[in-house]
Amino acid sequence: MKDAIVQGLQQAYQNMSQMIAQFLPRLVVMLVIVLTGVLVAYAFKYAARMILRLTKLDRLSEEAGASKVLRMAALPSMTEVLSRSVFWITLLGFILIGISVLNIAGLQEQIARLLRLLPEIVVAMLILFLGLVIANFLSRAVLLGSVNRGYGSAMLFSWSVRFIIWILAITMALDELSVARQTVLAAFSIVFGAFMLGLAIAFGFGGQDLARKFLERSLAEKKTDDSDELQPL
Amino acid sequence: MADESLLSEDLLRQLMSVGEADLLVAIPTYNNAGTIAQAIQSIEDSYQQNFVRDRVAILNVDGGSSDQTQQIIASLNGKKDSIRRGITSLRTVHRITTQYGRSPSQGSALKVVFSAADLLRVKACAVVSPATTSLDPAWAANLLRPAYRQDFAFVAPLYSRSKFQGLLARNLLYPMSRAVFGVRIREMYADEWGFSGRLASECGSQPMDEAVRARPEAWMAVNAICNGMKCSQSYLGPRTTVPSGGPDIVETIRQTVGNLFYCCDAFQDHWLDRNGTESVQTFGSDHELTPEDAPPRPDKSFELFRNGFQTLQDAVLKSILAKDTLAQLKQIAAMDIDKFDFPSELWVRVLYDFAAAYHRTAISRDHILQALVPLYRGQLFSFLADHAQSTPEEMEADTEALCLEFERQKPYLIERWKAKS
Repeated sequence: MKDAIVQGLQQAYQNMSQMIAQFLPRLVVMLVIVLTGVLVAYAFKYAARMILRLTKLDRLSEEAGASKVLRMAALPSMTEVLSRSVFWITLLGFILIGISVLNIAGLQEQIARLLRLLPEIVVAMLILFLGLVIANFLSRAVLLGSVNRGYGSAMLFSWSVRFIIWILAITMALDELSVARQTVLAAFSIVFGAFMLGLAIAFGFGGQDLARKFLERSLAEKKTDDSDELQPL
Repeated sequence: MADESLLSEDLLRQLMSVGEADLLVAIPTYNNAGTIAQAIQSIEDSYQQNFVRDRVAILNVDGGSSDQTQQIIASLNGKKDSIRRGITSLRTVHRITTQYGRSPSQGSALKVVFSAADLLRVKACAVVSPATTSLDPAWAANLLRPAYRQDFAFVAPLYSRSKFQGLLARNLLYPMSRAVFGVRIREMYADEWGFSGRLASECGSQPMDEAVRARPEAWMAVNAICNGMKCSQSYLGPRTTVPSGGPDIVETIRQTVGNLFYCCDAFQDHWLDRNGTESVQTFGSDHELTPEDAPPRPDKSFELFRNGFQTLQDAVLKSILAKDTLAQLKQIAAMDIDKFDFPSELWVRVLYDFAAAYHRTAISRDHILQALVPLYRGQLFSFLADHAQSTPEEMEADTEALCLEFERQKPYLIERWKAKS
């Protein structure tokens, strides 16, 4: 009995040692590949940045109006966006190669699946980018509108708009990737519904006076003799 | 050349029946039933008294009035041959009326006026607002005469104002447009102005950007300045208007400051290498100020400035203002209301930073204009606190000092304008 246990433990130890002996070199190879990937990605990023600056892409982007869109989304210049994209795509490629070296059962298949999903990933990224642009633009519009009308919770309004658009964009991106489609849709409906219900309850019960004042102010005739706004012209 | 596609067949028929005219006064209307009859009467009187031998016409361009404006004009047209008192014109006063759209747009109205002026080959035009209740027969004559008789391309009005009227024009539009474009036109943003047929033709041949459509008169003035045409100003007197509500300060800044920044951008080749300012010929008395009791202390303006600045400083203003300007604004926003002062030097820097940010579209241009509103409120509060007891002469001296500050800091604008970010 005792011998059988010792033998079993020895066997397990041998198996583990063998596995580690087989896995460690692969892990080292993977780390080397990823490290090389980081260096190559940096090199590519700087090369791309230099080439794009030489080609005066930013000026073209300015003329085409693309820079305006980027600025609206609080993103850097077109050259910077593209060179950073080159960095991340290169690094991602090296990471995938590194992971495939590990030879873990099933992971290869997942990587191949990931590569097949590439078009959807691009579309999802585009959706997220547009979501970011729209969220930034609309949240700033709400912020400015609220500030200029003297509302106390301008930041809250602005962040609410940003949050809603982000949630919507993330949901659409995940839906595009077919990631847990039902769950995501259900989660979105719950979060969005809860948010709107929360607002409705807060405004309806907690802010009856505020609602009444707001409606009175909105429906009443516009005053022109505010001391703040003397005839400006 | 006239863009005939802007003119309806009915309008073309009316214009063809007129043939040619020397003078044209345009009245853009939108729900002005209460005052339109008086406006038309005033212009007719002006023609009868001042331009007896000239071929004259009145053009009403309507933006889709839903009240009785059109019916009133039609009924007046029916009486156009009625016998008039006193001196009468040797020629018929032609009345032309048309509708350019279903919603009001000063820019669209003016495009129709340009085309009509070109087709009628008029020598001088004027635009008058039917909302002005103090419209006098002398007004149209004063706006038309310099363009008709003396070869001036643009004729700005000069009004007699109360001390606390027109503060956006006094503290921003006049000094900045004067410093940038180098011409001292006091009322570039007005509802009445005159222009020559040549300027109408020049402006009619250019596309009118959305940014200037609400206040096309200033764009016309800048066009005249940048094309080397002569500008002048004519004193009209005190101006009173129908209390219609009008646009609020946010919309007013969008329309006027947006127009000014757009013109700075569109005509940058003209002003970037130009220094100094020139005065323009003034007909009649100069800008007049009448004393007035100080308005109640606008504490609300101060609160809107302080809260607005604190909310926007990181989210918006950081992208627009230079670091030093932002730091100075932080300092004054922290001041106690009783000690608050918005120095004119800082105000000029703020505006030049905003103009440069608009030029390079640091963020959405409309957002840049909206972000200026809280800062304008701060400046307004400071100005009213400083001038509660000032005499008109002291206020004028202060405005002149502000104009000189704008001119002194113009190199800063150019530096910011040419900077990449």
